[in-house]
Amino acid sequence: MTRENPADLLPELLVLGAAVSGLLAGSFLPRTRQWIVAALCVAGLAGGIAAAALASRRGDTTAFDALVLDPVTHVTRIVVLSATLLVIALAAAPMRGHRRESEFYVLLLLSALGTVVLGAASDLLVLVAAYLLASIPGYALAGFGRDASGTEAALKYYLMGAFLGILMLAGVTLLYGLGRGTSYGTLRAGLGPAPDAAVMVGAVLLLAGLLFKAGAVPAHFWVPDVTEGAPPAVAAFVTTVPKIGAFAALYRLAVEALAGSAPGRPLLIAVIAAATMTLGNLAAFAQTNVRRLLAYSTISQAGYLLLPVAVAGRTDLARPALLFYLAAYAVTNIGAFAAVVAVGRDDLAAYTGLARRSPALAVSLVICLLGLVGTPPTAVFVGKLLMFGAALDGRYAWLAVVAAINTVASVFYYLRWIVPLFSQGTGTEAPLDRSAQWTAYLATGASLALGIGGGVVLTFG
Amino acid sequence: MSVLAWLLPAVPAGTGAGLLAGRFAIGRRLDRPAPAVAVAAAFGTLCLAVAAALARPSVRFPLFGRSPAGLAVDGLSAALAVTVAAVSLAVLAFAAGEFAPDESRARFFGLMLVFTGAMLVTVTATDLAVLLMGWEVMGAMSYALIGFWWRDRERVGSADVSFLTTRAADLGLYFAAGAAQAGTGSLALDGLAGARGHWRDLIAAGVVLAALGKSAQLPFSFWLSRAMAGPNPVSALLHSATMVAAGAYLLLRLRPLLDATGWAAALVAWTGALTALLLGAVALAQRDLKQLLAASTCAQVGFIILGAGAGTVAGGTAQLVAHAAVKCLLFLGAGAWLTALGTKDLRELHGAARRYRLVGITFAIGALALAGAPPLSLWAAKDAVLGAALEDSPALYAVGLAAGLLSAGYAARALVAVGRPVDAGTRQETERTGTRHVGLLARAPLPVLAAGSAVLGVLALPPLDGWWRRLAGDAEAPAPSAAGLAASGALALLVLAATWALTRRGTRLRTAWTAPARDWLHLQRLAGLLIARPVLVLATALARFDDRVIDGGVRAAAASGRLAAALAGRRVEFRVDGLVALVGRCARRLADLARRPQTGQVHTYYAQAAVLFAVLILIALLVR
Repeated sequence: MTRENPADLLPELLVLGAAVSGLLAGSFLPRTRQWIVAALCVAGLAGGIAAAALASRRGDTTAFDALVLDPVTHVTRIVVLSATLLVIALAAAPMRGHRRESEFYVLLLLSALGTVVLGAASDLLVLVAAYLLASIPGYALAGFGRDASGTEAALKYYLMGAFLGILMLAGVTLLYGLGRGTSYGTLRAGLGPAPDAAVMVGAVLLLAGLLFKAGAVPAHFWVPDVTEGAPPAVAAFVTTVPKIGAFAALYRLAVEALAGSAPGRPLLIAVIAAATMTLGNLAAFAQTNVRRLLAYSTISQAGYLLLPVAVAGRTDLARPALLFYLAAYAVTNIGAFAAVVAVGRDDLAAYTGLARRSPALAVSLVICLLGLVGTPPTAVFVGKLLMFGAALDGRYAWLAVVAAINTVASVFYYLRWIVPLFSQGTGTEAPLDRSAQWTAYLATGASLALGIGGGVVLTFG
Repeated sequence: MSVLAWLLPAVPAGTGAGLLAGRFAIGRRLDRPAPAVAVAAAFGTLCLAVAAALARPSVRFPLFGRSPAGLAVDGLSAALAVTVAAVSLAVLAFAAGEFAPDESRARFFGLMLVFTGAMLVTVTATDLAVLLMGWEVMGAMSYALIGFWWRDRERVGSADVSFLTTRAADLGLYFAAGAAQAGTGSLALDGLAGARGHWRDLIAAGVVLAALGKSAQLPFSFWLSRAMAGPNPVSALLHSATMVAAGAYLLLRLRPLLDATGWAAALVAWTGALTALLLGAVALAQRDLKQLLAASTCAQVGFIILGAGAGTVAGGTAQLVAHAAVKCLLFLGAGAWLTALGTKDLRELHGAARRYRLVGITFAIGALALAGAPPLSLWAAKDAVLGAALEDSPALYAVGLAAGLLSAGYAARALVAVGRPVDAGTRQETERTGTRHVGLLARAPLPVLAAGSAVLGVLALPPLDGWWRRLAGDAEAPAPSAAGLAASGALALLVLAATWALTRRGTRLRTAWTAPARDWLHLQRLAGLLIARPVLVLATALARFDDRVIDGGVRAAAASGRLAAALAGRRVEFRVDGLVALVGRCARRLADLARRPQTGQVHTYYAQAAVLFAVLILIALLVR
């Protein structure tokens, strides 16, 4: 009995409505009053968050045979929409009076919508559609500045996305043929008797697209180039938001579609996780460009996030670990990017003596960076704790050890950024972006609140 | 009623503390009214003492948690309190007349009043804790008063000797208090005799030690010689009613304890008798009037102690009261001459009595009383004590009698010295410039004290002796026998006359014979040799032990720690450091490698991604 109640998709519909009406309104509004579109989009996102929060009180269901409404979806909705809201706050000042201001917000919303659907999809075809919806606005956003580096970034992003999207489509085709269906429920039943080797090949190809969205090895090549080339607010968006949907989708695939088949899957994911976190950390070591540094840092964070996916289905801790880590990562990463936007410079030298110019900004940056390391009492610490617990509980102790070593190593490059903040001298005298500053404080506060109130959040979820 | 018990010590102590505090707060302006304030306070104290003697107040209060403590005035305390207050008033009045206006009078009178207050606490305390408080404050005040002229290092040295000696003996009282707490579970004075087992002996030993020290008995007598360094009124007060009287009072008060132990009473009696004898000889050999009087104090207090040991509280107390009046009188007289003539050397005081007649007459009464000449006070009081000693043992009596004769001898010596006319050899002002004047206020107390010296003997004679014995709580004490009285009186007169005759003729003993007596039996040198030097040697040895052994151990530990650290630094840290550097180098190289694939060219990205996915598929197929 298929449940087909549009009200189940109220958050998505609100976001879609805000995007469409924003697009229409933006076509008619004069440039000085384009901020109305921003307000519309913010209202849509806020409504979507509220609706998602309300929906999370209800039991698990499946809508239209294609979207699952369970805690994973609820958290994905809330975190994606909140992160998008933060990115809008971050972009408010640079985008004010921009020629295509309304398009920027609409594209952000559409990409966020695609990401939410990506996390909620329980059908391979919907997954592919969501992948495209999440990606294509992202390509446009990456080149939004219409400068040389932005164009290069957009092109690389698009080419990588197209290539890996084709691999993903090939994987979907293979699994469809093997499982005689695209719905996860059908696949679980259908893939059981199918040859394991074929299922694994299909799964690896399917992974290609999701790893691209997650920014994990071996689909990570776009991350540093896009983060450096695209406008900073867009960089914050594409390194944070699509990841959330991608990991939700990975988790769902692991526990729903491929649960009964593909026995080599956990090990495969574990190897990818180890490679991703190690590569990200090592490559970040010698960076002098803070955006590239953050880009590699997000790659290493993707590696940590893959860890609960690897042990999905083997331990009850996997789901809370993944979801909490996602939320913690989102606010902390956006906080760090907000500090970069506030300072307005990418070279490490520009951050010398920031503590004297703006103690609050320096402290919030330090909290975000230490938060990315996983220092108490920030949110990522709780996430990492849960993650290590999940790894040990899921009998992947070696992976936990690799993650711990990587965590220690990562302190090195974060400190390379933190130390100059408190040293003598002044890197830059350029004025600080006020709205980005406040976004940084907000994100830092959220990170601390999640870290300190982690217990409450977890019992609630 | 209990208010009286509080007020009695509080009035002098509080006024004294106020003067001392005011001296610091206001400064020298307070020096002018200080004598009047002090005399008024002393007069008030005397009134309170008389009232207390009649009303017999008592007060109890908890101290240190549940241990009961208190102040109470019984017969013995009443006699002591009135004596202390009266002597204190006399001394303060004398001091008010004698003390120069440029002296720090507020400090002096403040200290004197606190001294008096502490003595009053001591004599009214009903337990060892409160008694110790008074005892300690009294010791501290004696130090401050003896060293009153603190710019003179010699005097401060004397104060040090006095304080250290009495303080060392005081430790016995602390010891006794501890033993009392252990042996009786309380510190009450009247319960000490009932202490269990050996605790009683320990208490008695501590009490006797402290009392002998405070009363300057053998072997502690030398500190009283050094105490002469203080101003005259200090000597007068310290030698008569406070300090030395405190030790004697304690033994009189704790007589049941001395009896109960079996050995303490005899020890005390013999110590008193021997002190009376030996210090009498010392007094006889002195050439300085104040030193003579100091030695005679030891000797006379020896009779009180003998009384306590021989079992006559009434006789001992009578001796104490009479001696207080006599000795106060004599010290004030000596002090008046020292101020007026600038000397206290016996050979230089010729004619003093003739020059200042009132001082001379009263001094003569005092000296005759000291000699034991009938019918003056000490004759009867001393005989009450000797009568008890005779009941105890004839030997004790014989020693006591000999001591009595010696007292007649030294009293006569002093009397002759001041009584004979000025001759060619008489020099004056060898010590300081005399004022040639004895003021009215300084003279006023002398006749009163002389009257006391003359008549206080009635306390030991019928018909008043029965009342006195009841007052002292010692109804069974023997009355002095008429034969004994007559014999000692006659002997005293005989010795007086003989000494008179001998000294008039200028007969001198060989200096070599009298040297030990003149130097107070070398007691101070002996104490230095037997106590102070060994203690210092021990302390030096311990300090060396501390420096070499304990300190050396610490230093060795530190040195070995540093050695270990150096070893670790050379052997271990080098390798650890190298390892860390190696890890860092490897990480750096790996980091360079990790950035190598990021060529920035899309075709290499494609190739790499394709190859890596192929590898992943291969892994997936292989691991199955």
